[in-house]
Amino acid sequence: MEEPQMKRKPNVIDCHLNSLKTTKKPLNVVMNDMTSQPLIPTYVGHIKNVRDISKIVLLLNQKVPVKELQHLKRVRKQEVVICPTEYVNDMSIEDYLCKCDEGFKDIFGAFEVKNVPKLPPKLKKQYEDAKMFWPCNFHPDKYLEKLYSGQFFTEQELDSHRRYMEVAFLAAKWFDVQNVAVVVDPTISSVVAIGEDNRKCHPMQHAAMLAIDNVARTQNGGAWQSQMDDDTFIDVKLLDYLKDLDVKFGHRRFKSKQEEDTGPYLCTGYDVYMMKEPCVMCAMALVHARARRIFFAIDNEEDGALKSRVKLQTVTSLNHRFEVFTGFL
Amino acid sequence: MEFMKEALDLAKEALQANEVPVGCVFVKGGIKVAKSRNKVNETRNPTRHAEINCIDEVLSYCQRHNFDQINFFKDIVVYVTVEPCIMCAAALKKLYIKEVFFGCPNDRFGGSTVLDVNKIYTEGFKLTGNILPIEAMELLKQFYKGTNPHAPESKVKKKSNMSIDKN
Ligand SMILES: [Zn+2]
Ligand SMILES: [Zn+2]
Repeated sequence: MEEPQMKRKPNVIDCHLNSLKTTKKPLNVVMNDMTSQPLIPTYVGHIKNVRDISKIVLLLNQKVPVKELQHLKRVRKQEVVICPTEYVNDMSIEDYLCKCDEGFKDIFGAFEVKNVPKLPPKLKKQYEDAKMFWPCNFHPDKYLEKLYSGQFFTEQELDSHRRYMEVAFLAAKWFDVQNVAVVVDPTISSVVAIGEDNRKCHPMQHAAMLAIDNVARTQNGGAWQSQMDDDTFIDVKLLDYLKDLDVKFGHRRFKSKQEEDTGPYLCTGYDVYMMKEPCVMCAMALVHARARRIFFAIDNEEDGALKSRVKLQTVTSLNHRFEVFTGFL
Repeated sequence: MEFMKEALDLAKEALQANEVPVGCVFVKGGIKVAKSRNKVNETRNPTRHAEINCIDEVLSYCQRHNFDQINFFKDIVVYVTVEPCIMCAAALKKLYIKEVFFGCPNDRFGGSTVLDVNKIYTEGFKLTGNILPIEAMELLKQFYKGTNPHAPESKVKKKSNMSIDKN
């Protein structure tokens, strides 16, 4: 039973390498789910007298401000958004309004609970959908629109992304491991560092963790020992194995002490290509390292932190957020 | 308390070395087995947090003494001055560390405050905070009054109005 398992392993990588070379699929961005927009039940009041509208809207903005629904227009014809139903606990909406201000008395003819868009629309498509529920404000974002279009990269760019991913797969084959991270400096189109999954020897040396340390080595730092080519910090024998690829290796050099301070800082501006979606530890390490973009090919159902279990890139309180792309295979 | 005081001393040492002041001590059966502090600038590696350095210390300790690494971590108790970040929390979970005591919470990167790693790693350490939090917070405040000398100009400016950045 063990035998076929052993033999199958390298073949999987070969299959993947083959599809990497032949595929014409575009890459897709991994972000918040932008297709289904949440709704929130909200009280809407019908104003009896048209002449009261502007006065009441002013009063509502003062006395019942609804910060989280500022993307909504407050008025639609003679109807106004009052507040989410969750604001009004056990009271009736009439009593709630009276509590907020006496001026709301006898203004409304009827109340209704309506589901309205909970979040501001970010894409044109979302705006079209949201409008059907309630009029919204919308600020089109060309970059975001392109990111979600599925045509973010040109054919040429896609080729280069696939080539760097090929480096990751070939290196995984060479190291005989399940994951490899390849760090690329896009300003000089060059592979800066490679990290392989070395956790069988060291439980912290996952591919991304090792790659980050190898990047540190190119910046005169680093914490882990390893035998590397002194010049590139990438294994010489691996470089030899990859020599037929149309890929450049090496990092920007510091010529002086001054340049060291203005030169590459951590992984700022660098792109990282990983065979497998990084785990929580590795994904957060890449946030700390301030990587620009992360590309990965295979989902990590167990503890993947860019798509499968959580999406670290959507956690708004983090000080750095990278873009994540997948869809290689 | 005694171990947290030692962790605070390590955090002070980090501050003197111009690193984000976080210190950490690993204890096993009442005996200290590793101690370290943040070494991000020294190594130019943003993952060299106090906890990760301690893990490396334990690993080489195990190697020297021919101990089984995986088993060794299982009853280690961690004292760290700031709530472990998402990365360190995940690392400690993966090693099945027994218990973690921390000083002040980590609003920017906390592995419980910002993203609860328990949702992904259900097994692993019990987390207890608020052990000498004022002392830990005071060190961080002192650090962020100054700036990170190794960051490029633009980043130094951006950082100056942040509270907790690294770790
Ligand atoms: Zn990992
Ligand atoms: Zn940490």
